[in-house]
Amino acid sequence: MKTKNNPLYYILFIAIFAILLPAGYLSGLLSVNTISVWGRYFCFAIAALGIDLIWGYTGILSMCQAFFFCLGSYGIAMHLLLKKTVAAGAVLPDFMAWNKIDTLPLFWQPFHSFGWSLALCLLIPALFAFVVGFVLFRSRIKGVYMAIITQALTLAMWLIFLRNETNLGGTNGLTDFNTLLGYNLSSSSVKLALYMISFAVLCAAYFFCYRITNSKFGKVLQAIRDSESRISYAAYKVVDYKLAVFVVAALLAAVGGMLYLPQTGIITPGRMDVKASVEMVMWVALGGRSNLKGAVLGALLVNFLYSICTSLFPDSWLFILGFLFVITVLYFDKGFMGLLETIKQKISAARFKTPQTTH
Amino acid sequence: MLMCCLLLLPLKVAAQDSASIYTAQLLQPTNDSVRTQAIGRLAALRIPATFPLLMAINDKKLYLLDHKAVTVDSKPTGEGTYRLYSLYPDNRLLTNSSGQPLLLPLSALQTVDIPRADRLQLAGIAPLMNLFSNDAQKRILAYTQLKNAGDSATLPILQAALAKETNADARRTGKDVLYAARLYSATSTATAKAYIDSIGDNWSDNAPVLLRNYAKAGFLNQETAHYAAAKAISLEKRYDSLQRIQNFFSGLSLGSILILIALGLSIVYGLAGIINMAHGEFMMIGAYTTYCTQVFFTHTLGIPQTDLFFLAALPLSFMVAGAMGWILERLVIRHLYAKPLESLLATWGVSLILIQTARLLFGDLTAVKTPQLLSGGWQVSPHLTLPYNRIFIIVLTLLMVVFTYLMLYRSRLGLQIRAVTQNRQMSACLGIETRRVASITFFIGSGLAGLAGCAITLIGNVVPDMGQTYIVDSFLVVVTGGVGKLAGTIFSGLGIGFFTKISESFFQAVYGKVFILVFIMLFMQYKPKGLFPDKGRVAED
Amino acid sequence: MLLNVNNLAVSFGGVHALNLDHFSLRDKELRVIIGPNGAGKSTFLDIICGKTKADKGEVFFNGKSILGKTEVKIAESGIGRKFQKPSVFPGLTVHDNLLLAAKMKKDIFSSLFFKSTPALAERIHSVAAKLSLTNVMYKLAGDLSHGQKQWLEIAIVVLQDPTLMLIDEPAAGMSDEETEKTGALLLELSKAHSIIVIEHDMKFVEQIANELVTVLVRGKRLMEGTFAEVKNDQRVIDCYLGRTNAQLETL
Repeated sequence: MKTKNNPLYYILFIAIFAILLPAGYLSGLLSVNTISVWGRYFCFAIAALGIDLIWGYTGILSMCQAFFFCLGSYGIAMHLLLKKTVAAGAVLPDFMAWNKIDTLPLFWQPFHSFGWSLALCLLIPALFAFVVGFVLFRSRIKGVYMAIITQALTLAMWLIFLRNETNLGGTNGLTDFNTLLGYNLSSSSVKLALYMISFAVLCAAYFFCYRITNSKFGKVLQAIRDSESRISYAAYKVVDYKLAVFVVAALLAAVGGMLYLPQTGIITPGRMDVKASVEMVMWVALGGRSNLKGAVLGALLVNFLYSICTSLFPDSWLFILGFLFVITVLYFDKGFMGLLETIKQKISAARFKTPQTTH
Repeated sequence: MLMCCLLLLPLKVAAQDSASIYTAQLLQPTNDSVRTQAIGRLAALRIPATFPLLMAINDKKLYLLDHKAVTVDSKPTGEGTYRLYSLYPDNRLLTNSSGQPLLLPLSALQTVDIPRADRLQLAGIAPLMNLFSNDAQKRILAYTQLKNAGDSATLPILQAALAKETNADARRTGKDVLYAARLYSATSTATAKAYIDSIGDNWSDNAPVLLRNYAKAGFLNQETAHYAAAKAISLEKRYDSLQRIQNFFSGLSLGSILILIALGLSIVYGLAGIINMAHGEFMMIGAYTTYCTQVFFTHTLGIPQTDLFFLAALPLSFMVAGAMGWILERLVIRHLYAKPLESLLATWGVSLILIQTARLLFGDLTAVKTPQLLSGGWQVSPHLTLPYNRIFIIVLTLLMVVFTYLMLYRSRLGLQIRAVTQNRQMSACLGIETRRVASITFFIGSGLAGLAGCAITLIGNVVPDMGQTYIVDSFLVVVTGGVGKLAGTIFSGLGIGFFTKISESFFQAVYGKVFILVFIMLFMQYKPKGLFPDKGRVAED
Repeated sequence: MLLNVNNLAVSFGGVHALNLDHFSLRDKELRVIIGPNGAGKSTFLDIICGKTKADKGEVFFNGKSILGKTEVKIAESGIGRKFQKPSVFPGLTVHDNLLLAAKMKKDIFSSLFFKSTPALAERIHSVAAKLSLTNVMYKLAGDLSHGQKQWLEIAIVVLQDPTLMLIDEPAAGMSDEETEKTGALLLELSKAHSIIVIEHDMKFVEQIANELVTVLVRGKRLMEGTFAEVKNDQRVIDCYLGRTNAQLETL
């Protein structure tokens, strides 16, 4: 892949989101909700970077990224809920009391501590990805088979999270939190801070992925995508590489989920159903696969479009999304970034052509 | 028993006579006190023959037609007229001169008003009267709630009710009560054993519990108690094996649905390398076609009570879904051959569009009325009923599998399809119009999904996102079976169907699903290309 | 002997693709395998490099059994493979294709923290120059011509620096001039490596077959001998004559 690094993109990106938007809020032009909404989009973009690594670069279509995203969210949500419960002097979160449970389930216990919660939010998705990846990659399940099995996995997990007896809040999910580390989540300054943190983490994640993809490791990933057999005859252990990138992608999704939760204040199993997982892949496809900028841009654009469409013409969103899917796949297989690239090339070709013809 | 009847006969005749007198007094009372007394006497006499009349009084449904006491059904027949029943001395459906049920509106009848105080006299015998209700469910309830069935006053009534009983379930319940009463009052071991056997042969749901209770109570002697316990165990075993057959049947039926959906999916994927996420939506289109056909038959043609609509819907749903598939192939799929992952995303987009369209057109929930012919079930034995609609789906699947087999392996088109499946370029070189073959395949594959949708209306509601319920499962069927393999699809469809039902009897449905997924993942460790992989050097990579 | 094969057999769905009683190769030997289509030549190489599982038999490489080992293990032990259909990484540049192939530690962490050395760059450039790839060094491999892809794949195998190279139809789709150049290259490589070449083009075989030629027919070894012996063997001629094949004229 040609990586022409135009610093203009980065300057523009940072100028808009790190300076313009916060400035707009501080000057009173933008509401704090707008800021918070964009903060959530950054979380999606972080997960999208992971999808780009695994799908765009390595060619493995994983449909369980939404599940990893939710694992991160649920972990933080459990911590917040326990903090609130303890502060209110109760022993159990409300929904458990309603379900007639008298002791806190064992797996909730570590989430009393913020440190443990953070660690588990990362560890559980990583471990899950490792086990699933190990089983699948070892038996050389790839392509369509991989996509379908991971999708079925997401479906199964979704069903489990929907149940009441798993003590994860069932269909209603977990919601109604007050504070994070003592900061009130509903205050505007905390919201702004969360926005800035999300932005910083997005930038860090981007830089991290950028380093990975430009290292020899990244080239091996692309080689796996292009010809898995060739790379293993060149003595690369494909399973190791796939496993590593699958775990990294799961971690990125989980980080996105962890930052997402305090900004929305609710997590339900609806975030991880089959639809949500396909949609996440679509962000990357729309932005431009095997292009990190495309992944970020895709996640931001699609979600921005979603918020506009649902408020203006609520019935039409699925039509728009559906058409976007079809048209992108049919005509712009390199996504939005590919489109920009083509336009740029056309312009420069036209510019070069003129002197030649006059010659 | 005969002796008993003979002894009772003169007494019974005498009672019958007085019943006639009281009935006449009740219907044409000279004054209110005569009627009150007549009702009180009838209630005390407890003669089964008068129960229909008394029940009509109790339900406030006593009418006169030509000075004869009649009653009506609880619901009108549809045009506001009711079917009529004579009450005394015999209780039967009234017919007109041509032998058809006599239908009359309520206005044609003379209502007989009985004051509440009089009716209250009947409260004591209400449980007994319900044994003679026109409603089988009410009768079953009455049998189970019958107290002291063994005493001499109730026993003859129970016998009379059973003699009249027409419903098999109700008769079984009633017999249970009767036999139990006799069993508890039995004085010799042989009689007790005979009644234990009778209870066993009666095959009711309650029989094992009944026998166990008897064994626990230790009535009569140890021997009968042991005998009852042994009988209970053998009955439970028999019920278990019947339950197993029922589970097997449910598995077969679920497997059939999966096969029906996966058939089209598998053909299309094998031929074109297309992961058609919109396949479930073609099923949805088939279901809505069935719904529309029903609406057309009932409202436009005005023939509501007919199964014809379903007969018409079967080919129609195939054609409509097939046509939609053909259009989709032309517009979208054509550009995505052999790009499975891209096609997955594009067809997912198509499925979103189709679901939203269906939601805008039809709203959120509609249902198709099951044809009368297919409602109900085949009662193989008292504890094993195989619903007709499920049997229909299994038969339909069988037919479709045969059809697909013949099409793929016995027709020219099938030869072309298989050729294109194996090598698109080469087939094109040999003069096969690969595009035409692809469109036709897509038509058939989508049509099969439509047919599946039509069949599924028999067992579920029609909702816009119904396709999503089955799509992931049917993809698992395709993956486990090996892509594009007819035999693989059938085996894995049935396998997953059975496995689901079996695991559901151990775990809850959700955990059963997780269990199956884990099983499939482990299975693929050992057979990564499915049950029936291609062999040879070309097949690899 | 570097490579020793005994009683190797594999069948696909009842068809015996390969049934080889014996095959052995000296160190630094260049062996050519010929035979009509479906003779099991590629299947033989597939088994050696771990792509296909054999039903029975034994394969010893450097005295160690390699049957049933993974592709990676076999590649690590020093066997490189060039496929019949050129198999390169179309999404990477020629340089990156070569870089990935070059002999070095290939685990995850070495790849993550890899830094190029002048020696490595020099080696990549010298191999690229030998195979006329210098001009296209930063072009995507997917944009190369068929002949260039063939050379790129040979270059990939060369950079792996294997003890044994398995080369499947290197001259397919090349012009006469390119074919001759490929032949010269193989001869040069055979000074430092053992090579098994599968080829149909008899002119090419004549050029490179300084030592033994093995003839496979329907999975079995028909004969083994020098090019002259093979060319004049009646059985070999018959088995090619039985087919109306373009190869007939060249024989």
